[in-house]
Amino acid sequence: MSDKRVVVVGGGLAGLMTTIRLCEEGIKVDLISIVPVKRSHSVCAQGGINAALDLHGKGDSPYEHYDDTVYGADFLVNQLPVKRMCEKAPEIIYMFDRMGVMFNRTMEGNLDVRAFGGAKFKRTVFAGATTGQQLLYALDEQVRRFTAEGMVKQWIGYDFQRLIVDENGVVHGCIAMNMNTMKPEVFKAQAVVVATGGPGYIFGKSTNSFINTGSVACTCYEQGAKYANGEFIQIHPTAIPGSDKNRLMSESARGEGGRVFTIKDGKRWYFLEEMYPAYGNLVPRDIATRAIFDVCVNQKLGIDGKNMVYLDLSFMDPDYLDRKLGGILEIYEKFVGDDPRKVPMKVFPSVHYSMGGLWVDDDTDMTNLPGLFAAGEVNYQYHGANRLGANSLLSCVYDGFVIGSAMPGYLKEYKEPQDFDALANKHLTEVEKLYEKIYAMDGSENAKKLHEELGVMMTERMTVVRYNDKLEELMGMLDGLMDRWNHIGIHDRSKVLNQEVIFVKDMQKMITLAKVMTKGALLRNESRGAHYKPEFPNRDDENFLKHTIATYTPDGPEISYEPVKIADIPPRPRNYAVDKEETKKMAQKKNEGGK
Amino acid sequence: MAETVRLRIKRQLSPDSSPFWEEFEVPMIHGMNVIACLVEIQKNPVTKDGKKTTPVAWECSCLEEVCGACTMIINGRVRQACSALVKDLEQPIVLEPMTKFPVVRDLVVDRQKMFDNLIKVKAWVPIDGTHHMGPGPKIPEPERAIHYELSKCMTCGCCLEVCPQFNEKSDFMGAQIISQVRLFNFHPTGASLKEDRLHALMGKGGVHECGNAQNCVEVCPKEIPLTHSIGEVGRQVTLQALKDWFMK
Amino acid sequence: MTEIAVDRSFFNRRLHSFLGIFPIGLFILEHFFTNSFAVHGATVYNSKIEFFKELPYLLAIETIFIFLPLLFHGIYGLYIVYTGEPNNLQYGYYRNWMYLIQRVTGVILLFFIGWHVYVTRISALLYGTEVSYQYMAKMFTNPVVFWWMVIGVVSAAFHFANGIWSFCIVWGITVGPKAQKRMGWITLGLFVVLAFVGIRALLAFHI
Repeated sequence: MSDKRVVVVGGGLAGLMTTIRLCEEGIKVDLISIVPVKRSHSVCAQGGINAALDLHGKGDSPYEHYDDTVYGADFLVNQLPVKRMCEKAPEIIYMFDRMGVMFNRTMEGNLDVRAFGGAKFKRTVFAGATTGQQLLYALDEQVRRFTAEGMVKQWIGYDFQRLIVDENGVVHGCIAMNMNTMKPEVFKAQAVVVATGGPGYIFGKSTNSFINTGSVACTCYEQGAKYANGEFIQIHPTAIPGSDKNRLMSESARGEGGRVFTIKDGKRWYFLEEMYPAYGNLVPRDIATRAIFDVCVNQKLGIDGKNMVYLDLSFMDPDYLDRKLGGILEIYEKFVGDDPRKVPMKVFPSVHYSMGGLWVDDDTDMTNLPGLFAAGEVNYQYHGANRLGANSLLSCVYDGFVIGSAMPGYLKEYKEPQDFDALANKHLTEVEKLYEKIYAMDGSENAKKLHEELGVMMTERMTVVRYNDKLEELMGMLDGLMDRWNHIGIHDRSKVLNQEVIFVKDMQKMITLAKVMTKGALLRNESRGAHYKPEFPNRDDENFLKHTIATYTPDGPEISYEPVKIADIPPRPRNYAVDKEETKKMAQKKNEGGK
Repeated sequence: MAETVRLRIKRQLSPDSSPFWEEFEVPMIHGMNVIACLVEIQKNPVTKDGKKTTPVAWECSCLEEVCGACTMIINGRVRQACSALVKDLEQPIVLEPMTKFPVVRDLVVDRQKMFDNLIKVKAWVPIDGTHHMGPGPKIPEPERAIHYELSKCMTCGCCLEVCPQFNEKSDFMGAQIISQVRLFNFHPTGASLKEDRLHALMGKGGVHECGNAQNCVEVCPKEIPLTHSIGEVGRQVTLQALKDWFMK
Repeated sequence: MTEIAVDRSFFNRRLHSFLGIFPIGLFILEHFFTNSFAVHGATVYNSKIEFFKELPYLLAIETIFIFLPLLFHGIYGLYIVYTGEPNNLQYGYYRNWMYLIQRVTGVILLFFIGWHVYVTRISALLYGTEVSYQYMAKMFTNPVVFWWMVIGVVSAAFHFANGIWSFCIVWGITVGPKAQKRMGWITLGLFVVLAFVGIRALLAFHI
């Protein structure tokens, strides 16, 4: 038997952590990434990473973390994986600590923690306001070490094209294209891990990087992988609107004491604090976003009538702010021009994260295609209907551990296909055919213009507030967009780093995935977490305490449902105006009353 | 007519073809940066004179100046395109690829050398494994704060672009590497490899090839105290040389 | 435990840096100081010159402590100049200009010192020219020679003073930016003083 070899697609936190864990298990890794791994989107994560270390001695515990996460997710989450993740979290922090991450510390030299949304305990460990970058670099360094040892081969500037999957759905590798030469190449592997992040670019302007097209996830979906809970898109309450993208203004700004307000009747109105006295500015993101949206759009109380509210740090000590939030203050200064140490920042909600993603098994992170694993934002696993801030870095890293443990078992049972070369060639030909088609496109449409339109239509109909008629309309618009995709004309037929051709391919994937999200939203007639329909303002556990599962058909996504697996925490009404314990008592009383 | 932005871009279709210039005029958008200009060109790849052309290739990822991808020379100065706001720039905005790295296409260059150099100096903390072994070493907060600044290096290459000693005639690895060596030598566990790192920096292209022009620290977008790192590592190398000379 | 061989360039660079101060820099100080005796007139100056001429092992001392170090510092310095690609027009920062001037003065000094050693030392050895106050004064009546001397003296003063600044970073004496800045002022002061002393000595011959 030859070497154990696995392909990891994506070099962000999830991809790198998986790579490291696989190397530790003696498995060689081909790491495919379109950008040098240090430039992956994980660098944009700012605020921190959650772990119930109880560093303040207030009685925090992994169970509390678990409970907050499930409650924050509005119960649309299989509870066991979340529980295990929260239990592993403290070990993960200590691992990063040993790797040399420059986490902020107390004067005694212990790790410092700060508050984050949806939690009553301070449990977010952080490195300034560039925590994602710092964690990514730490893993990048460890992967570099394995690269030097020959365990990892990095394929930078390679774009994933297609899984090599046999007639039984078993994955035996993938095809990726060297973008510098535009030549697709075969990567033989006993398993493939996709860790390609979120699909924010579908919404045009979001807090995501331009590379977050969701293209790889979509390809897996088209090749038979199930896509779950696609309609759950997190809209971050505080971002800086920009001409090219919206830049995140971390929740840590509020975690450190920042206050959201607008002007009402000539006075400052701290509406979050008024509406949600128990959690104040630190309500979960879906709640804060809806409140800001309501204030600006419905009550027309945004700054100067525009869609913006204030996020104020200016009353705080500038030295303290620099130490804890330096990175994000710099971003605001550079891109807006004002100093947030002196004047309140102007922010508005923006698409930020996808809770949904490829469906994976609770225990192994394997998709329904044997040999295809998914790690990080690209899977659907931990965040349900709404993700709590600083849980995403955790889930990315934790997935690496899950796959690291599951992979040796899978590889032991793995059987090589009878004729790999024939199988690989079949898929290679598919890829070549696609590019032949794209290179020959000479219609009148421009892919970037289509993308702009896609972004606008999705942002208008598929974000904070959703109406069924608008979603129906959107489905039709997406079909129209797909028709127009066929009439794209390309300007660039070069075989050297042809970004236009690659983008045309991605564009088709984005439209496909947009339909998955939209159809999921259309059929979910309730309001839960980030998914809010004024026509159905309440959560409907009877009909919708279920994961939406989309399966690819050439005629569009086919939607089915899978029940949510509850382990410890029975669903109860979600109300951030009062303390979490209060809601438990209320639910208990109601149950007893019912009996 | 609506306000427009004029750009002059140095283009190159492949690594071995010769460069040429093209001028563009794109509609002005409020709060526009250079990235948004390049996107406008993608939407309508036509030069100022109405000639059809190919869209300009460039590298970008985060657009928040934390990933380092979109580094290029803008109006003669190396910086990130995302944080280059049109309203602050003289027009036509002149865009060129970095000059110290091989051009792949248009504004895209190959900076792999920087990552390879990180391997040369073993820029990592040698941990035993990712399994649970308790917390890492305690570090005093003031020290942590200093070294956090170093760990913000996004390998963008600005410091190398402006370094008169970083070029094809010399092997000098540049400020980026030296500063990373300082970071890892500081860390209590990272220090296990301190000698290896210093010896690497006493080798080809090491810290001794620095010419102290100190341009690096002027252009570093993350304001990393690079010259401080060079001084610190210079001291470490001196002590290491003495140790090698007298104690071995 | 370490596999990487320490490169020859490290030794050469550090030797280059070291020799710039010890002995070349010290010699410059001595040289500027001794020549300043010219301020007190021909007799005093000539007596000092005699003192040096009568030093035992003079040729050996000169060879080991002056000529060889200068030769190495100059030739290797030329190589360093070759490896650099100045970009001052694009990046006109103060320190970048210092970097360029250090190299320009270095190249000037290579020619200047070559000439200077020829007229004051080698021609004496070859043709028995008597080097004295009168000999120098006569030479300086030619304004080209005089201004060439001024350029040489100012270059030497700068190259040495700024060289101390670099030396302190290279060897890790001034580590932080504040220390480097402070040393920048000190060495700038040294440059002014040395240039003053040097030019005043020159003027003493130029009556």
